Amino acid sequence: MDDLLADFVAETREMLEASSGEIVAWEADPTDRARLDTIFRFVHTVKGNCGFFDYPRLAALSHAAEDALADCRAGRREPDSRLVTAVLAIIDRIAAMVDAIEAEEEFEIGGDEELIAALEEGGDDTDSSSSPRTEQPEPTLADAQENAEQDKAAHSRSDTAVAQRSIRLPVDLLDRVMSGVSDMVLARNDLAHRLRQAGTQPMIDGPFERLTSILNDVRDAITRMRMQRIETLFAAFPRLVRDLSQTLDKQVTIDLEGGDVELDREMIEMIRDPLTHIIRNSIDHGIEPPSERKAAGKRETGSLSIAARQAGNTISIVVSDDGRGLCPDKIGAKAASMGLITEDEREGMALNDILQSIFQPGFSTAETVSNISGRGVGLDVVRQNLERIGGTISVKSTKGVGTLFTLQIPLTLSIITGLNVVASGQRFSIPQSYVEEIIHSSSRVLDFTTVGETGLVTFRGNRVPCLKLSEVLELPPSELADDDLTMVMLKLANGDLFALAVDDIHSHSDIVVKPLALAVMQAGIYAGSSLLDDGMPVLLLDITSIAAQGNIVSDLRGRLHKVREEDEDNQVKDHSRAMLFTDFEGRRRAIRLDLVKRIETVQTSALDRSGLTPRVVIDGAILPIIGLPDGPIEREKLRFLRLSDGDSQLAYAIREVVEAAELSGSLTPVSDDPLVEAVTLLGDETISLLDGHELFARFGEAPIESRKPVCRLPQGEWSRTILAPLLTNAGYEVASEPDIQEDVAIWFEDEYEAAAAIDMEFAAPVVRLRETPEAPENSPTIYRYDREGLLAALNSARRAKGQG
Amino acid sequence: MNTLLVMAQIAGRRCAIEAPHVDMVIEMGAITPVPRTPDFVSGITAVRSQTLTVIDARLAIGFDPGAFAMDHRAIVATHERSAYAIRVDAIEDICTAVSEPDQVPGGFGEAWARVSSGLVETRVGPALLLNLESLLRAPEPFGAAA
Repeated sequence: MDDLLADFVAETREMLEASSGEIVAWEADPTDRARLDTIFRFVHTVKGNCGFFDYPRLAALSHAAEDALADCRAGRREPDSRLVTAVLAIIDRIAAMVDAIEAEEEFEIGGDEELIAALEEGGDDTDSSSSPRTEQPEPTLADAQENAEQDKAAHSRSDTAVAQRSIRLPVDLLDRVMSGVSDMVLARNDLAHRLRQAGTQPMIDGPFERLTSILNDVRDAITRMRMQRIETLFAAFPRLVRDLSQTLDKQVTIDLEGGDVELDREMIEMIRDPLTHIIRNSIDHGIEPPSERKAAGKRETGSLSIAARQAGNTISIVVSDDGRGLCPDKIGAKAASMGLITEDEREGMALNDILQSIFQPGFSTAETVSNISGRGVGLDVVRQNLERIGGTISVKSTKGVGTLFTLQIPLTLSIITGLNVVASGQRFSIPQSYVEEIIHSSSRVLDFTTVGETGLVTFRGNRVPCLKLSEVLELPPSELADDDLTMVMLKLANGDLFALAVDDIHSHSDIVVKPLALAVMQAGIYAGSSLLDDGMPVLLLDITSIAAQGNIVSDLRGRLHKVREEDEDNQVKDHSRAMLFTDFEGRRRAIRLDLVKRIETVQTSALDRSGLTPRVVIDGAILPIIGLPDGPIEREKLRFLRLSDGDSQLAYAIREVVEAAELSGSLTPVSDDPLVEAVTLLGDETISLLDGHELFARFGEAPIESRKPVCRLPQGEWSRTILAPLLTNAGYEVASEPDIQEDVAIWFEDEYEAAAAIDMEFAAPVVRLRETPEAPENSPTIYRYDREGLLAALNSARRAKGQG
Repeated sequence: MNTLLVMAQIAGRRCAIEAPHVDMVIEMGAITPVPRTPDFVSGITAVRSQTLTVIDARLAIGFDPGAFAMDHRAIVATHERSAYAIRVDAIEDICTAVSEPDQVPGGFGEAWARVSSGLVETRVGPALLLNLESLLRAPEPFGAAA
């Protein structure tokens, strides 16, 4: 096929794509001259071109359509729906012929005359359904090319793109460039790794940095090259909706929004079928016939709206209709009868959760939602197709009001963020989009248990199935104890959670996903591979398949048992928290967190070991110390847990704080050490829990200075919101009532001067605050934000008063 | 017939792969094992930022690789858009075929018949002409292998 002809085919396709939306819009509003002109231009161009190429049948068809449309333009004829249908039929025929020309095949004879006759004013009622719609003869031949042309079509339609210069490129060339750039990124990463190993080399590092930034730019640009406006996908929908609603005798308007959102070209192809399916479903099952709508008090014309939005790395597409909605009762009953959920669970399930069962395999919406038969393909296939590209789908519906499908899809297929994990010494990557949360199971929130052969963890009150990655991969078992594994909480597309236990989390990285060989893909647990920064290949796990193979998808609902609320209350009661620390004899000990007021660090010199009970001064209070080692202390600073039972206080000397942990294990009372309340298991260690009661009974004493000093503050917003909390923290009582006798008072310098000028009496020593950091000479004032200075001044003022 | 052939020893036998099917011969680097794949998949490796699936030809044909030496190099071939690194006993030379592939009476034995399209004469003697497509397919149905 020569170039000229190829151009003709491409140009015609482009215009076809553009005009199908226009023609429906024109039907809705026949007076719209702009639409009419567009369609007229299309048939006119086709007519001109085929005369040039000598395609008499194409010429005859386009000529007839041009005549009819010219009549409309000239006002000699009113466009009606019959005319629109006839013009559409001709445009369809032109499209089929163009396909045949491209495939270099002979197009079937005949049928043209009927189409032309249908254009005649007042002619026979030729319905669109009776006009011959020819299947595309060779759809496989040039699919890829067609995509490229759609690309182009999108640009030619958008207003801004008109001025842009553009060229037509074969898609596989684009793909080659894309994969070349991906390889370049990997090669760069490899080089970066080697450079790091070789140490800093200014001669090389500079140019390398430059290479990196150029490469990033190129990668961005290439990614954009693959981007396409979602408009190209949307453009076909008005026609689809029009044809469907006519076949079903319904009235539906379509409202498209967000057509300028850009998406990976490949991704657009991947969501074309799922979206079409949902639209068909909505019109077929969702939107009621006009009579029913009228009876229900709705407008006779149903409305279908499709909106695309971009949020970060995902695109969400919302398809909503104002039809009869889904009936949760029927869906719940159906799901129960299919064994997807039990009756009991159905009672407890949120309405929204029940609705999601329509995405389960074998769930036919036809029986439950409407009496119109389905097409044998269920929404489960839609879900699967979306999941394959890392997307999700969910549904919301209100009976009688409408249904809303939300599709979330990643921006691009080939570069994703991966979480690199380690299992049995080997690294694997998990698509970040699945990861809900990472929990180090030593944090004790998870409560890993094995019931039968099934691992379970408790996550936010739910029992969630847990798979060990090393077992999934049939690797030698991990050397780590179950409790030391790290749990990656993964959220599947249908919202189900499961935990994947891994040895360690390595890093996050942007990974360029490459397909793997058949023999590897057939294992069914890998989605591809990528290269890490150090040049080693890493396998990308196929989470959905792993979950399916672990049998935790189909009956996941059944297994995701809600821990009963009473249980949870009990747990909360039982699991009081404790502070874990090492004492000076090196023992791990725990003390109930409620008792710990603060962790203090004190200069060893502040210790007073002269008496029988050593004491320490903290914040001006003298506290008894326990837990000190015998003999001299080599450290310069000591750490104390400042314990309080409300009245008495203690300082417990510790070597180091370990962590705060939950006391989830059972407590076994011990009798040999009176200071120990019980021993318990934390992780795989036994820990002695100190007996707070005994501690305070033996050593507790009220701090020597138990009464808090009272400080009077100046009026104003600043002192109330900034100064008061500072002083409260420092252990002062802030005087608010005028009749309280203060120990010390804070004044602003200007107010103090005013007061002093009238010889006011000050009941307590005064600390004066100034506005500026720099002190005027010989001024006894403190800058208002000098915390240390202020506290020191207050202390010395108080001491002065005590002596005086 | 002047087809160039890459000659290699596989399981102690001289084999030939048509050179146009061979992308290159590489030095093997580190191999990342791929759990839950058939034995003959040794793992994946990276060469010049390209990921290759490493196949042990001896296992793929049905022999025990422990009985033979292994070349530190591998033959890289692309099949159905995936690149493979094929490990053999030894990579020998490049020769010109001096005959069309031919069958011999009695055949080559079951294991070899599956992966070979016949015998070719070369100047170093007769060799089995390997069919890459069959070689890269599993030696038995995957269900049994996995």
